Amino acid sequence: MTGGSWLCLLAPLGATILITLCGNRIPRVAAAWIATTSCFVAFAGAIWAFLGVHGTSRSGCGFAPLGSAGCKDGEITTAWTWLQSGNFHVGLQLLVDPLSTVMMLIVSGVSALIVLYSIGYMDGDDEERRYFAYMAFFVFSMLLLVEGGNLLLLLAGWGLVGLSSYLLIGFWHERPSAVQAAKKAFVMNAFGDATMALAFFILIAHTHSLSFLDNFVFVGRGGLSSTAVNLVALGLLGGAVAKSAQIPLQTWLPDAMEGPTPVSALIHAATMVTAGVYLIARTHPIFEQARTIELIAAGTGALTLLVAGLIALVQTDIKRVIAYSTMSQIGYMFLGAGVGAYANGMFHLMTHAFFKALLFMAAGIAIHALAGEQDIRQMRGLGRLMPFTKWCFLAGALALVGIPPFSGFFSKDSIVASAAALGTWYGWIFWVCGIAGAFLTGLYTFRLWFLVFPGEPSPFVREHYHDHHGREGAWTMLVPVGILAVLATVGGWLQWSPGWHPFTDWLAPAAQTLAAAEPTNTQEYYTSAATVIAGVIGIVVAWAIYSERTMAVPAMPFWRRTLENKFWFDALYDRIFYAPAVWITNVLRREFEEPVVLQTGTDIGDATLETGGLVRRIQTGLLRTYVLFLAAGAAGVVLAFLIAK
Amino acid sequence: MAGPAVAWYLAVAAFLFGIGALGVLIRRNVLVVLLSLELMLNAGNLALIALARHWHNGAGQVFALAVMAVAASEVCVGLGLVVALNRRDLSLDVDRLSELRG
Repeated sequence: MTGGSWLCLLAPLGATILITLCGNRIPRVAAAWIATTSCFVAFAGAIWAFLGVHGTSRSGCGFAPLGSAGCKDGEITTAWTWLQSGNFHVGLQLLVDPLSTVMMLIVSGVSALIVLYSIGYMDGDDEERRYFAYMAFFVFSMLLLVEGGNLLLLLAGWGLVGLSSYLLIGFWHERPSAVQAAKKAFVMNAFGDATMALAFFILIAHTHSLSFLDNFVFVGRGGLSSTAVNLVALGLLGGAVAKSAQIPLQTWLPDAMEGPTPVSALIHAATMVTAGVYLIARTHPIFEQARTIELIAAGTGALTLLVAGLIALVQTDIKRVIAYSTMSQIGYMFLGAGVGAYANGMFHLMTHAFFKALLFMAAGIAIHALAGEQDIRQMRGLGRLMPFTKWCFLAGALALVGIPPFSGFFSKDSIVASAAALGTWYGWIFWVCGIAGAFLTGLYTFRLWFLVFPGEPSPFVREHYHDHHGREGAWTMLVPVGILAVLATVGGWLQWSPGWHPFTDWLAPAAQTLAAAEPTNTQEYYTSAATVIAGVIGIVVAWAIYSERTMAVPAMPFWRRTLENKFWFDALYDRIFYAPAVWITNVLRREFEEPVVLQTGTDIGDATLETGGLVRRIQTGLLRTYVLFLAAGAAGVVLAFLIAK
Repeated sequence: MAGPAVAWYLAVAAFLFGIGALGVLIRRNVLVVLLSLELMLNAGNLALIALARHWHNGAGQVFALAVMAVAASEVCVGLGLVVALNRRDLSLDVDRLSELRG
């Protein structure tokens, strides 16, 4: 099973290196297929590792909870000692346990489909090879993040996904807006990386180790003071919030839609942005010792799911609507992981990876067919021309809203029910947020649906629509979308809470759900009913406003402006970070750089020139004057000696 | 010890040096300047040998030999330059060779 994990990790890295070294000696299509094959190989490796873990868990020993004697939680495989300083060792090690195998399966499986889709989507781009090298590199980074056997490797993967996200957002580097968005994403993510690194420093200071086991055991038995453990948890939460685009570090994600659509599907929907949820589930022993911080994580999620859902209501760019919906759904995952229902958070992560990748890629087919148009106000009636895309998108949309039997229903309701299970006042606030979020999800998703797909095609669509040899897109684009549509439909059936929950049981050794977050059956039932009803009301309202037009869009100009300005987060950050930084830089340039640094150089040059001009006159070119000076000098020296004597 | 006192030798050496130095300063012909330089070097040699003999110390004589070697090589270079100047039909007047004026 460890062999599978190494195969899974190294296949995409090998593809990156191969594509990079071959350069333009191989055709573009070859680069694309190398990347795709490597992702499928990685998926095979993930299945191998999964079967290995599955076999072990049935061998009797099983995966006892982390830190208990005798049995270990999963298996750690070490290639070599990577870093050594005194008695501080960090090995190049991978962890294979239920949690990491689930993530490996999701990441490699979804990325294989999306890279396959990219073959059709990126066809004809000038720099396809670079694109596929980056994609494979991202898959490697993400797998390193989820498989890393200690906190340092996790941080390395964390940084590398940030880097590849930066590279891919800015892939079309001739667009200034893409470059801006890439920089914004990188800076925001670097902030999270820094808080995580600080948290790790505290851990190293106390345990002299970055291994999961050492730290979890140490923290679990109360080895850290409550201040220290809160700081560590806060640092980890900072990283998670930045990577997963939660409030207050959420502003980079919508801008990241400047990248190619498959990139949005892979990085900014299915895998990387959900890494924060994985982090909380992975380091839950630390968060459980800092319960306040964990609940802050849940609160952040609840707030984000509402705010992002509201903003999604007024967006007009098809990708941005889906991007805000991603933020909102990750808010649900944070809510689940934060209240202690790690398995529910991870389950929603999985179903979300399916239906959100599906939505992005279906939107990508539409964008592709309309020659790059992304404005949903132009798109009415697209479904008539693209029935396959329409039905796939509908499956994704229903899964997103959580209508049974689509996958989102099973995963989202459990999260909201877990919030109710807390029973405390904040638990109920979370619950209400979750239900309100379900209503918003129904509203914005079906606003998008009714604006884009049903009805008679608009003149714009008629004029700009072009098919691909009689089909809606290349087969490489249609096949992954079809597979994901099936997964988005049936992917949730892995778990029918409360009766059947193999997913939760599978994750229990790695991330046991807290007892406080175990809902009763009654709570499950009425929460499910409430979320579905809220979602359906959302859909009906969307239908009334955007399809039948029996209701007008409520005016409320203030709220409209607020939402269109994304609650002024960008303006606020401009005001408090960007503007002062620019001001300080300008002052320094005016008061220091120009008068001191630059002027000093000029002054030194001028002084040298002047001195040279003076001394130059001695150089007469007459040999005899030189001799005279020489003789006079010698005589002077002799005289000086004589006088001194 | 036979012969005049060492002071006489030094006086002759100083005289020769003075003639050489004046020659270098005053004369403009490159060849004569070179000759004057030789004169100065040999004045130094004379002083070295006289003092070596006076102090019964061979080191001065060895120095004189070294100076001769240097003088010989200097003349080689100097005369080579003179020949080169001549070949290019350039003046041998040192005052006219003043292209290095700053």
